[in-house]
Amino acid sequence: MIHKPAYVPERLALLSDLNAAQYITDGLLNGKEGVPAIALDKVVEPLPHEGARTASGPLRELVEDAMHEYEGGKPTQADAWLAPRLHATLRLSRREAADRRLWNHLALGIAPDYVVWRHGKRSKVAAGRFRGPADTQAFARLWWMAELFRNGPDYRPVVTACGVQDVPNTLLRLDVIDHRPTALAMVRLMETGAVTTGREVNALGKAVNASAATLMYDVIAPDVERDGLPGQEWIEASESAGPVPRRMLPEGPNEERAPGSSVELLADHFAELFADAPVRGRVADEDGED
Amino acid sequence: MRAYPYPRLSGRVSLRVTAVELKAPGESREPLDVKAFSAVEQVVALGGTERDDWESARLKLSATVPSKATDPDGPWSDVSVVAVLAEGATNARTVVPLEPSTESGREWTGSMDVWRADHLDRASLNVHVVARTDGVAGRVIATSQKDWIVDLSARAPKRQRELDVVEVSFSKGPQWLQPFKGVPWIVDTSGDVAAVHVNTDFEGLTDLLSGAGSAAEGLVRDLMLAQMRTDVWTAVFHVAIGDLEIEEDGTPLFSHDWRGEVLREMLPDVMPGRPLEEALGEVHRRRAGASGWIDLQPRIHFAATQRAQMPKALSTAIRGLDRLHQGADA
Repeated sequence: MIHKPAYVPERLALLSDLNAAQYITDGLLNGKEGVPAIALDKVVEPLPHEGARTASGPLRELVEDAMHEYEGGKPTQADAWLAPRLHATLRLSRREAADRRLWNHLALGIAPDYVVWRHGKRSKVAAGRFRGPADTQAFARLWWMAELFRNGPDYRPVVTACGVQDVPNTLLRLDVIDHRPTALAMVRLMETGAVTTGREVNALGKAVNASAATLMYDVIAPDVERDGLPGQEWIEASESAGPVPRRMLPEGPNEERAPGSSVELLADHFAELFADAPVRGRVADEDGED
Repeated sequence: MRAYPYPRLSGRVSLRVTAVELKAPGESREPLDVKAFSAVEQVVALGGTERDDWESARLKLSATVPSKATDPDGPWSDVSVVAVLAEGATNARTVVPLEPSTESGREWTGSMDVWRADHLDRASLNVHVVARTDGVAGRVIATSQKDWIVDLSARAPKRQRELDVVEVSFSKGPQWLQPFKGVPWIVDTSGDVAAVHVNTDFEGLTDLLSGAGSAAEGLVRDLMLAQMRTDVWTAVFHVAIGDLEIEEDGTPLFSHDWRGEVLREMLPDVMPGRPLEEALGEVHRRRAGASGWIDLQPRIHFAATQRAQMPKALSTAIRGLDRLHQGADA
């Protein structure tokens, strides 16, 4: 297993896909060789923004704490702990987060040891964990989980969603979760224990997605009007923000929460859909559904 | 054609952007020049604005819906018309209800705020008619046919993207370009949009491209631009296929960013006569498998050449040369 890079740059930066590719070697994917940090630092480009949130130190500490905390257990369990804290440390707009180069740098320049620790326990790490789409890349997927499953400042739904196996792998790539009450209603089913296993999450996602082809959830369960200002203020407040709390959950942008009635309505609807959905390996129960 | 288990609204649903206003922090909204959006192209270009610090744009929207939708004897009730703005790359989805503005129920208007921080590149805007039918609320009974595009970076409202050309010295520029210092141009697909890096070390090349020279130079220039576009389309197709996400059962997925868009656009030429999903599956199988990829190369080349309008550029150049000769002979 590789260790902390010999050199960690002070600032986060952008690393293009093209430049990232040459550093994703077999040795790295097998966890045997680190990334040549100094050479890598020569091909990065500066971030378009400045200020406290570009510092790499708080992120480095965060991933080290995650590895320490979950050393004995399963690395997969670190997702639920790290996702909200990563989100609250980076304080990015979606526009910034959509830039894959940022995630490339985080994975190769700042914390390659974390990527190997989290995704390479049993086998070789997939290259997409270092450089890949948002639902696969080791850090991008955590950030987007936090962004899409938080309820305004409240990260608790994120913890629930990350805690259920396969949510990042299946739900994160569905367009339906871009509607906040839909995402939160699915979490509600996980909270109540109606949906617990990876297969069940998969089945729920498929059923909800299929139903969304003809039903407009945005109309039957509206969200509040989008306001970009609280997010901006939250980003500006990063200058004076300390490190994120390790035991308690941090607070996200002070955006208005999704209407509870919309989440309830969809949760009921999804529960019905799920009852009829085929789940691989689920034995038909005595309620006698067809 | 897909089948719906409920009555759908026939006829055309159309959407227009009638005005755009920009807002900078702490200032009031200012109208954007009408040249920045086009009803013909159905594009709003937000990149050409003189102010670089705008934080939100307000789009005034107007939709036309067949009057059957609100006919009291029709199969629908609780009719609403909503505009949806979505961008895959940022998972952003904004939905606003429109209000009927005429008695007939044909015209619906409203406005939508586009927050710059929520978007990266290109968002699509369309309108849906939603109603209760057969006792089920929220059914989509009609959708506008052609999306509008809200482009965050384009200067002019054009659906077809312009070629992004960067002039740079390969020997003194970014390190990754240095090994290519003898090459006139390189296609870079690692950003949000593919770019062509033109090598300023290559003597005379930038002068030629700037198009200030003679008629003959103009012909060569246009031909070169077409060649660059061909290179770009070929490169982005390969990147998009190489970067596919694969489901557990092996089914490849269209990505949410430009890679997905490129595939949707080119696959009908690469695998003609097949539905998009099937075409993608087949191309992926051929690439991953031992055989069949070579057969695809001519088709990829064809698709790229078509999009780059290479045949047109070449025949224009040949005809232009003929005319120059005639002028010289006369």
